[in-house]
Amino acid sequence: MKTLLKLTGIKKSFGAVRALKGVSFELVEGEVHALLGENGAGKSTLIKVITGAHRPDGGAIEVGGEEISELTPAKAQELGIACIYQQPALFPDLSVAENIGLRLEKLGIFKRVGWGDWRQKAEELLARIGAEISPVAEVSSLSMPEQQLVEIACALGSGARIVIMDEPTASLTQKEQHLLFKVVRDLRAQGVGVVYISHRLEEIFALADRVTVLRDGESVGTNPVNGLNESQMIRLMVGRDVETIYPQAEHELGEVLLKVESLSCAASGLEGLNFQIRAGEIFGLAGLVGAGRTELARVLFGITPADGGSISLNRKLLEISSPRQAILHGIAYVPEDRRKHGVILEMAAAENMTMASHSRWFKGGILRKGIETEAGREFVEALGIKLSSLAAPGGSLSGGNQQKLSVARWLATQPKLLILDEPTQGVDVGAKGEIHRIVRDLAKQGMAVLMISSDLPEILGMSDRIGVMRGGKLVEIFEHADAEQVMAAALGSEEVKA
Amino acid sequence: MKQTGSIKALLVKHEMILLWVIAVEVILFQVLGQNFLTAGNVSNIFRHSAEIGLLALVMTPVILTGGIDLSVGSLMGLCAVVFGMLVKVYGLDPLVAAGLTVLVGALGGGLNAGLVAGMGLRPLIVTLGTFSLFRGLAEALTHGSKSYSGFSDGFLALGNSDILGVPAQIWIVLVVGIVIWFLVHHTTYGRSLRAIGYGEEGARYAGLPVKRNISITYVMAGAVAGLAAVILVSRLGEARANAGMGYELLAITAVVLGGVSIFGGAGNVSGAVLGWIALAILNNGLTRISDYEILGEKVSSVARELSGLLTGLLLIAALALAICMKMLAAKRSAKQT
Repeated sequence: MKTLLKLTGIKKSFGAVRALKGVSFELVEGEVHALLGENGAGKSTLIKVITGAHRPDGGAIEVGGEEISELTPAKAQELGIACIYQQPALFPDLSVAENIGLRLEKLGIFKRVGWGDWRQKAEELLARIGAEISPVAEVSSLSMPEQQLVEIACALGSGARIVIMDEPTASLTQKEQHLLFKVVRDLRAQGVGVVYISHRLEEIFALADRVTVLRDGESVGTNPVNGLNESQMIRLMVGRDVETIYPQAEHELGEVLLKVESLSCAASGLEGLNFQIRAGEIFGLAGLVGAGRTELARVLFGITPADGGSISLNRKLLEISSPRQAILHGIAYVPEDRRKHGVILEMAAAENMTMASHSRWFKGGILRKGIETEAGREFVEALGIKLSSLAAPGGSLSGGNQQKLSVARWLATQPKLLILDEPTQGVDVGAKGEIHRIVRDLAKQGMAVLMISSDLPEILGMSDRIGVMRGGKLVEIFEHADAEQVMAAALGSEEVKA
Repeated sequence: MKQTGSIKALLVKHEMILLWVIAVEVILFQVLGQNFLTAGNVSNIFRHSAEIGLLALVMTPVILTGGIDLSVGSLMGLCAVVFGMLVKVYGLDPLVAAGLTVLVGALGGGLNAGLVAGMGLRPLIVTLGTFSLFRGLAEALTHGSKSYSGFSDGFLALGNSDILGVPAQIWIVLVVGIVIWFLVHHTTYGRSLRAIGYGEEGARYAGLPVKRNISITYVMAGAVAGLAAVILVSRLGEARANAGMGYELLAITAVVLGGVSIFGGAGNVSGAVLGWIALAILNNGLTRISDYEILGEKVSSVARELSGLLTGLLLIAALALAICMKMLAAKRSAKQT
């Protein structure tokens, strides 16, 4: 088998931070090679070295057996290296064919655009990966996974031999993941080398041939996937044993805290929802993307107010027409998109933490830095947030710590009901475990928790009860369930039969 | 090591650059102009720019939210006419009339607020509309040409006398400045304005009263535009529909010159104040240069010809300088480590 890419002793420092301390990595034809490591282990830096975005301080890069002295992004593209990021970088207002055409062709000012050729080329490429996407569809009308498929088509079209996928499933549902997996396997069959980055171990077992684990900027080792089990892999990643078991409820549940009756919201496609959550209970909400889970959270939090049914908390009927009211009633929402809604990236960590609870800390609306710092320190300690200082901007924190910051902001409001939307998306294994422990502790203190997650093991492991949504309706509530039952309910029985 | 680092950080700060700009201006005009650094002229610099200063101060919260208010200059025109009518036609006491004028300004700002925050229209478009509307109303009220003058000496003193050696209206600017500074930097209201400027959606998710707080910035801007109109009328002794024409752009220039991000979120009141002072000195300094030769040709007064050109150059140079200093500092710190 031919070696496509060989990195030896790659070093890279940013200021005093040594991001890569001599990493070696090899990719051969027709393999899926997983790259595994906690956030901050050096995966992103390594990817940027491979795509030519970062110049390494030391080490050698060989592509197709040839040593490359100076790798630039243009050179990398020429050598057939393509990278598919979590967030597809397509033009939303152009069609699929136009996007693919723009990516593949060098445009001159006076060069005529061959629309027909572009469409044909796009059709061919999409067919090659088995994607059922119309070339004339506008990209903004496509779902996230469809956009990723378009990216993959671009990569193939440019004759990529080395395809890097950076957490491609982070925002995909189970069904969409299967489609993506199929495409990855097809690529492998065509002799393409795939570098696959993911936090989800089960994906790595399902897809990868070999796995290289990075820890603190060093490669801990490359192993065939079938020679490892899950706990061995985790141990390699964190260098210590992590409890893979989810923290279990050991406490009695309290009275019914949240009661939702025939709740509807036409604007967000919700219809006749009935459920209740008791104090101390974690109610997991499963379903495919677009099933209406986030929409339900937004209704409960007053972003898109309900137009039918009732919501009561502590036996009190609530009228929730804005987030502000929701907060006053004791409802908190840790949103899915933490970079856009959860944390204000430019503002200081401490400012972020007190953002939703100004009236609690600042009597009369006058800022008191001392009180803020004290509150900030408490949350940093309680949630184990890693930051350089409380004045550091939220955007300077790693993903897991940003998520904790977002959780801290909402704990500061002292809520009765805590809604978590994909709380561990894009968060490394260590931080994920910590977030799970925090959520369980909060429930233990008597909070009612509504947890939306597309991570099935997380839903199964954390929830006291599991609700499944499909097409804007709550189709099933399980006291105990296994993965198959939840998936079947999420997909709908027709699809399971077919 | 740490000491030099913090000094460097201070030099890079936008306010420091503006202080340098102001120092250069002062030296230049002292050398080139006549009677620049005299007590009388320094007092004039501030007296003649008090209205712009007020507008720059209230423009700062608006711009911090990522908004803009193009209508404040026109609103000054409307308020000046309203004030003139209240005093000269309806015979109201100037103090009462001033109060009512500020109220009219607040109502004008309220219209902007309703359209921006209530209906979710773009601030640029809304205030471009009210920019024409307010001036048009002022002209309609005066039939295009009428002006009001002959105000009492007591009222004219506001614009033309000194209190404790400082122009009377500067005390008002000072009070408004302290209020705005306190609001922006020491209240949850000010912090919410920044949050809105960085991302309105994010601020809404944090449960901040986004609409209400945006509305307040426009109402404040309107009210202070009314106050500025009263001061202008007092200084000039005349209320006309063209009062405050072009002032909105000067105020915005001062704020942007002061390092407040036009996209919202970043910036502070002290920067806006320094931006205002730098502009005020430039405009006054140019009038001090008379009978000057440029390329062998005698120019009687450079003020009118060059004021626009130099204001533009000042803005671009100061902002370019700020960015260059930031890049230099980043490079240096990267090299050090």
